Amino acid sequence: MTVKTVSTNGEELVNVSGKTKMARSKQKLNLKYFGPILALAIFLSLWQFIPALLDIKPFILPKPTDVVAAAVEDWHLLWPATQITIFESVIGFVLSAIVGIGISVLLASSRVLEISLYPYAVILQTIPIVAIAPIIVIWFGSGFNSIVIISFLIGFFPIVSNTLMGLNSVDKNMSDLFKLYNANKWQTMFKLRIPAAMPFILSGLKISCTLAIIGSITGEYIAGIGGGKGGLGYAITVAAVQLKTPYLFACAITGALFGIVFYLLVSMVSRLILKSWHESAMKVER
Amino acid sequence: MTNEKEVVLFQGVDKVYNTGTVALNQLNLSIKEGEFISFLGPSGCGKSTALRMVAGLGEATRGMVEVFGKNPKDVIESSNDVAFVFQDANLLPWRTVLDNVMLPLELRGSDKKARKETAIKALEMVGLKDHLKSYPRQLSGGMKMRVSIARALAAKPKLLLMDEPFAALDEMTRQTLQMDLLEIWEREKMTVLFVTHNVYEAVYLSSRIAVMSARPGRLSNLIDVDVPYPRERTTAKFTEFVDLASHSLEHSMGRKELV
Repeated sequence: MTVKTVSTNGEELVNVSGKTKMARSKQKLNLKYFGPILALAIFLSLWQFIPALLDIKPFILPKPTDVVAAAVEDWHLLWPATQITIFESVIGFVLSAIVGIGISVLLASSRVLEISLYPYAVILQTIPIVAIAPIIVIWFGSGFNSIVIISFLIGFFPIVSNTLMGLNSVDKNMSDLFKLYNANKWQTMFKLRIPAAMPFILSGLKISCTLAIIGSITGEYIAGIGGGKGGLGYAITVAAVQLKTPYLFACAITGALFGIVFYLLVSMVSRLILKSWHESAMKVER
Repeated sequence: MTNEKEVVLFQGVDKVYNTGTVALNQLNLSIKEGEFISFLGPSGCGKSTALRMVAGLGEATRGMVEVFGKNPKDVIESSNDVAFVFQDANLLPWRTVLDNVMLPLELRGSDKKARKETAIKALEMVGLKDHLKSYPRQLSGGMKMRVSIARALAAKPKLLLMDEPFAALDEMTRQTLQMDLLEIWEREKMTVLFVTHNVYEAVYLSSRIAVMSARPGRLSNLIDVDVPYPRERTTAKFTEFVDLASHSLEHSMGRKELV
């Protein structure tokens, strides 16, 4: 969508006043990409040279080259660990989305249920999941199950509170319209309340997808098991104990990259869904 | 055009909100089939409240509202005979124009193909046949209101309720829509209840004007607009009715000042 807009803008500008303006808008566009890249380059070079200048040991602050070297050297450990963390996070996230949205819809469809349970949904959200993670390990054992459950729990509540808020924010006139045409409860739910709640649900999903990664890495800290099944969190704890700081950095950065990609994917899906109608997804068009 | 069949009946209707505000006080009015009746009054005179009761969206505190001789709630439960056009077009932003117009038929569960045909016909009536696949946000205010009217018409109502539908539009758009609305009314032989605070609009459109006064909302005058359609806004007769309606409007407001 961005590309299309830029090109139409470009054409209009040419029609108005020739090439200079188009060149200028191209310059602006270049700066948009060039600026952040330059900033990153400066940051990386400072990071590279300052430890060398101040003679800081790699196990205190490794240089970017140390980190890359560690990633390459231990790739056979890093890559499987990353895959495991991705797998756990995605499952945790998908579960929290399905269960979260499902429970919210059920809650919102009954006034009694919602009034009785909504306060708890809000309160439960404030529980630091990390604090109860050990209990989950006691219940479900070390390894995959516990980690997925922690990842699920941490992503679950934002989705529930966002979805409920969305389902209850339907415009009064629109629900009158549905009443007037004698829509039943489920028609109103599926044809009005859920579509109207979509922007809320999707922003809940965006929050949860990054939380799901935090959840699974935290889960791996506590419940991670060795033998190449530990994921990034487990690899980080091991690296910390062994003072393999460059490798620890490599794990953290890999986790961050996965987080960014995951967030961008969810945002892209959200944009696709809202593209045709919602303000948040069409800013570029104006 | 008017035979004596009664479509809407207000009988001693009071409406008091929980806050204690008296929105309607002793409203008595009988509306006959084929009428185009406007509720004209200042804001707070309960005209929208009265309209919502006819649609079954609100209940009278005392007294009785009947539509086709039945309770309004029963009427909307059993048929699409009553349609409502809201002040803002009130379209679902995630649905295309066509899907918006199909909504009433969809909710009643009619056949999919017939549904589409009816919707397209309704859109044709309001001159929007070329915008089936557009989304509401791509349309101007006037076009949105046309879609909203098409949606109301798609269900083939016998009674069309309109709550200040043109209030937010510019004068040019408003006049075109008024003309089109009259054309549709004459062709479809519906009964129209139209809420407005615009005297010219009331005189231009209505066969009868119910002038309302505010706080408490009550009927202060009933004016038969005895001018043949289509009406010219510049004729002496038109101006005469505008003066008459304005006068009773002022009178009703003046009385409030005296109290």
